[in-house]
Amino acid sequence: MENLLDINFLIESIPAIVSRLPITIGIAVGSLILSLFIGVATALIKIYRVPVLRVISSIYVSFIRGTPLLVQIYLVFYGIPKIIYYLQIQYGWLQSADVNSIPPEVYALVAFSVNLGAYLSETIRSAIESVDRGQFEAAKSIGMTPAQMMLKIIFPQALAVAIPNLGNMFISTIKDTSLVFIIGVIDIMGQAKILGSRGLAFFEVYIGVSIVYWILCIAVERLLVLIEKRARRYERGIAS
Amino acid sequence: MIKLENIHKYYDSQHVLKGIDLIVNKGEVVAILGPSGSGKSTLLRCINFLEQPTRGIVEISDKRVDAESASKADISSLRNSTGMVFQQYNLFKNFTVLQNVMIGLTSVKKIHKAEAKKMSLEILERVGLTNRLNHYPSQLSGGQQQRVGIARALALNPEVLLFDEPTSSLDPELVDEVLTTIKKVASEGNTMLIVTHELNFARDISDRVIFMEDGVIIEEGTPEQIFNHPKVERTKQFLGKAIRAK
Repeated sequence: MENLLDINFLIESIPAIVSRLPITIGIAVGSLILSLFIGVATALIKIYRVPVLRVISSIYVSFIRGTPLLVQIYLVFYGIPKIIYYLQIQYGWLQSADVNSIPPEVYALVAFSVNLGAYLSETIRSAIESVDRGQFEAAKSIGMTPAQMMLKIIFPQALAVAIPNLGNMFISTIKDTSLVFIIGVIDIMGQAKILGSRGLAFFEVYIGVSIVYWILCIAVERLLVLIEKRARRYERGIAS
Repeated sequence: MIKLENIHKYYDSQHVLKGIDLIVNKGEVVAILGPSGSGKSTLLRCINFLEQPTRGIVEISDKRVDAESASKADISSLRNSTGMVFQQYNLFKNFTVLQNVMIGLTSVKKIHKAEAKKMSLEILERVGLTNRLNHYPSQLSGGQQQRVGIARALALNPEVLLFDEPTSSLDPELVDEVLTTIKKVASEGNTMLIVTHELNFARDISDRVIFMEDGVIIEEGTPEQIFNHPKVERTKQFLGKAIRAK
């Protein structure tokens, strides 16, 4: 009798898929961290209306939002080596860089950081602008420098506001990392594809990889609830 | 000592302060009264450049700053020698009571944490809040928040304390605890400039009263002179109405 599923194959595939989890999580977390810097920088450029940079950053945000992530990954993967090579030949820069030795994970990290940074930019800007003006004035009135004001007073409060949005974007990013196999990164999705073609059991491995993504996202959601609670601990109703 | 010379402030074409001259001597408590929109809060905020004056000179303890050529360092020096108490308290929401008072000492004055904590505890003692050290602002009443606001301003031991309608957003029953605290601070010899709508309080606490309207000082004198024998008709009218309304 024909089985709908080869359950044994499915179960056996899961440990192999999970073994690539560090790649998936690494790209997602790494690009979250890098994109926070990009997001904060572009948000501040917009808030403080920095000339020239403001135009560049709004073109950047518009371009990223207006093109598919898949295309952006290809642009980074094929573009960066070409640009480095061009700079080496034309200007003699970056001589120590060996284009062929850059692992594909690096391109994935760059592409996802640049992509997520653009989406975070607006979230971070609106979170910073949602902080009460009085907080800025009080910080100035006691003589804080702009950097102290931002780091100690404004960012922590803005972060508390932004966490639900940041969390949603982070979860989307985790799922989007399933695209990285196209540039040769073997993440959990890549591993599932390899196993599937080896055993000609695609349905099984894709069920397996879905379960891994699902559990990962549930865990991240739980974690986000805890982080949000911690970040908003000073708000009304949470007794010390 | 604060000395203001010919302070002007425009918002676009609106002329909000029309050449204010004012001297507040060391240890003096000066109350600024006047109807809403008279520019009194703007004047206070021009002293620490939360509003940049369009023209004029602000001088605090020999540091003269010309509004038209003020550098970042000038502005920061004015802010370091003033402390401000806000109408909306503006306590740092993400900090506890103790942290709110300590932050200026540790991050602006670069005082070591243990020392800063000791100094902050002393100041919180003076405003009677040592039992709320680890509370966040959201867990305090308005009156308690404002007393922390006063402690935060006092912590930096500024030359001048600026009070911007410190009781205007408080429930009536919480006003007294804040006024009592301000009186105590005044009795300790601090130089203070207070914008307020509490006329009786202004009369009790101040050495000198200034009456403003439409961006100019129209009368100034001792509380006795201003409240009992105002010379200008407008002052008489304002104070009369306000006192009757009490």
